[in-house]
Amino acid sequence: MSKIRASSKVEASRSMTISRRAALLGGAASVLATTTGRQAVAQTALSPQLAELYERAKPEGEVSIWGPSATTIGWIPDIFAERFRDIKVSFVGSEQAAARFITESRANRHTADLWFYSLGATLDIQSRGLLQKHDWASLGAKPEGIFFGGEVVAMNNHVSTPIFSRSLVKDDDVPRQYEALLDPRWKDNMVASSFLLPRMAAYLAIEWGLQRTQKWMRALIDDNRTMITTAPVSDLLFSGERRLAISESVGAARRMNNAGRNVGYRLMEIVPCTQFTLAVTKNTPHPNAARFLAAWLMTSEAKTLFSERAGLSDVRTDPNSPLSREIQAARLKPVFEDVNTMDQRADYYRQLSAIAKG
Amino acid sequence: MAGKLILAGAAVVAIYLISVPLIFLLGTAFRGPADFLPFEPGSRWTLDNLWDVYLDPALYRSILPNTAIFAAGSVTITFVIAFTLAWLVERTDLPFRSAIFTAILFPLLVPTVVLAIAWTLLCAPNAGWVNVAIRGLFGVQGPGPINIFTMPGLIICQGIASTPFVFLLLCAALRTMNPSLEEASNTSGASPIVTFFKITLPVLRPGILAPLILATLLTLEQFDLPLIIGFPARVNVFTTRLFFDLNAEDQLPKYGSAAAVALLFLVIAILLLALYNYMVRRAERYVTMTGKGYRPTRLKLGRWRAPALVFVGAYLTFAAVLPALVLLWTSLTGGVTWSEATLSWTAYEKLTSDPRFWKAVVNTFIVAACSAGIATLVGALISWQILRTRFIGRNLLDFISFLSIGIPSVIAGFAVMLLYLSLPIGVYGTIWILVLAYSYRIAVTTRLSRAALMQIHAELEEASSISGAGWLDTIRRIVLPLMTPALLSSFLLLFMVGFREFTIPMMLQSDDNWVLSVVMWRLQNDRQTGEAAAVGTLIVLFVIPIIFLMRRYLLAQQNND
Repeated sequence: MSKIRASSKVEASRSMTISRRAALLGGAASVLATTTGRQAVAQTALSPQLAELYERAKPEGEVSIWGPSATTIGWIPDIFAERFRDIKVSFVGSEQAAARFITESRANRHTADLWFYSLGATLDIQSRGLLQKHDWASLGAKPEGIFFGGEVVAMNNHVSTPIFSRSLVKDDDVPRQYEALLDPRWKDNMVASSFLLPRMAAYLAIEWGLQRTQKWMRALIDDNRTMITTAPVSDLLFSGERRLAISESVGAARRMNNAGRNVGYRLMEIVPCTQFTLAVTKNTPHPNAARFLAAWLMTSEAKTLFSERAGLSDVRTDPNSPLSREIQAARLKPVFEDVNTMDQRADYYRQLSAIAKG
Repeated sequence: MAGKLILAGAAVVAIYLISVPLIFLLGTAFRGPADFLPFEPGSRWTLDNLWDVYLDPALYRSILPNTAIFAAGSVTITFVIAFTLAWLVERTDLPFRSAIFTAILFPLLVPTVVLAIAWTLLCAPNAGWVNVAIRGLFGVQGPGPINIFTMPGLIICQGIASTPFVFLLLCAALRTMNPSLEEASNTSGASPIVTFFKITLPVLRPGILAPLILATLLTLEQFDLPLIIGFPARVNVFTTRLFFDLNAEDQLPKYGSAAAVALLFLVIAILLLALYNYMVRRAERYVTMTGKGYRPTRLKLGRWRAPALVFVGAYLTFAAVLPALVLLWTSLTGGVTWSEATLSWTAYEKLTSDPRFWKAVVNTFIVAACSAGIATLVGALISWQILRTRFIGRNLLDFISFLSIGIPSVIAGFAVMLLYLSLPIGVYGTIWILVLAYSYRIAVTTRLSRAALMQIHAELEEASSISGAGWLDTIRRIVLPLMTPALLSSFLLLFMVGFREFTIPMMLQSDDNWVLSVVMWRLQNDRQTGEAAAVGTLIVLFVIPIIFLMRRYLLAQQNND
């Protein structure tokens, strides 16, 4: 353990030390960025720190990031192919990623460099000692966003909201309160994912208490006949079969709009914010490339791209993100989880999941 | 000597391919607790998984009764449709038989998830195209009249989805049946119905029982349609539990609990195998191919031709044409409502301009063809050993090969991952690990080959041997040509299953071994519905010519014989 701490300090001091060459490279990069005019990706100049990390990463040539789905991380390789051609990014996007990562690690085979997952799912990896401490503060992370002594950093949030097709439902018709979803006019008109509904409701339970939430969820499913499904709700929404998907997210709406839809979302009085986190794996096969990708993902440019491409916004540590401002302006209450509340949230999820799954 | 080596090699390969996932499945069912993977330090031997699954009151109150109704209803529908279609295609003068044969297989080509979504778009109560049309026609208001999200809806959809599988198996049996027995019955004055029940069905017993058993087990293991159509109707079946155990979202998959669920499939497989062996214990009863030559004749449908075509047309409309239209429509419009739709080739252009897509196409063909080839070859050799030799372990071999059908894909995928992470032979992360992982499904080939071999009298091989031919020559020149329909059916079936296999490649994916189903899943997951549908459409376009050509080749070969 002390060795890890010691090496972390060394890495931190390395990453904080900016060489003259890196400063020159950074300056050159910024000149280049301003002179090349319009680019496919809205770029910001590399900071000297990033430029140095990039130089170090180049000999390794590749880096792999693992996460829950292609939706969340599948956009990164394309961005790198445009901006940082010397580093090829690959990704594994799978719900079985944790099992595979643990299995590979046990077999002493290491292919994952970075781990991007929800805080809850990251626990399985962190508790097995498969992540390394990293100097996230030097990359701009705030103390409240650094977990497990620096092994994990808060990246952004999956913000749960109802979504709807604007061609079928007017914005003003969509309820603003969760209780209003029990109105009979929404009977047979709502759909929810079997996973996302109890996850969202678990955050409501943190605010409302378990009993009230259970009662609300039963009424939603039994009285208002909300369809609970494992299929993509988008198909049911766009075909007009259902008008409101109640446990989707701002991100889902953004991704659908990116794909040419006209989808709206409604922030409700309580805003459940599932925490997504980033970590560098303990036995990363490309340590310098991993540091570079991690550092770049912490930049405001990457966070903006995360928000645009994957629909995940940082509302926990960035009060100035557009979504944070939207929540503040409407005086809504965001609910977060952290290492202290996640066990309770997980327990609520299990109990509410039983209702959703019948 | 060469023959013995080949047979021994086949047995070793079969045991190797099946025992890895099988041992893993058996071991995992007794490992816990749930927050540890089964092989990890900290996990221990336990019966907790079995208690959790089998002492749950909901299992006996609703899940098992639902499962029984679902399986019985679906298999019945499947069999009625598949047998009628197979009989019409193989034993009658129905027109356009090759085209119909190919079209019937459509639901096998398309991932079941896509079929389920297509049927949902057609028959959902509020906005299903069929319901909208009916309401418009009769001026009815409100949802319905058809509601796919019910138990009958689930049964009908599953019955139709499983039809091509059973159809393909029954075609092989019907094609190799010598019609002289039926002709003798007819000549003796028996009516067609009497001939059918007294001659055709008894003679075809192995060829019918094998698909019946396979269809029952496969229906019990289905979770795509029960999840997409049954689950919203609150109809939970046994596999619903399996799905949620393996897709535990924020937690590690509960492999132990899933394996405990899968144990039931193994038990049912063992019981069905025992029943099968009991019912076909006197193999010589089913011999229809002897040394005497025969030429299959086709029944003239006469005035029944039109009703037969209507039946085939009705099946094809619901199982192939409408889903194909939905797939095509979605790929061209992104799946929006009629009023919002704009037709565009954008999805296809984006897809085909991506080199990763073409790499996935090549990978998919290699993996599906190689795994189907391996399983077919090994399965056929094993069947020959079981039926034609006195080898002591043949029953055990039969038993092990059959158990492969009770192993869920995700368990097989995980077991293969564990094995090849430990074996330093360089297949991990390549397409070859997918070939090895897919090839465990030998049960289909052994059942099919065995049923076909039972119809071939051993006297043909004896005659060849007496005439001086070696074992390899006899197999190559006598047995293989006679078994070609069954082997081709088996290959086609496994090729198509491999082409659309999703669970195993998701588990073992790397940048180098993407296959089309993974591409499709990623696009769907990314809400790029149009492009996901375009992949589905292209899968159909890639595979249909192959089926058509294979069918033509088979018919040409039969005509030459």
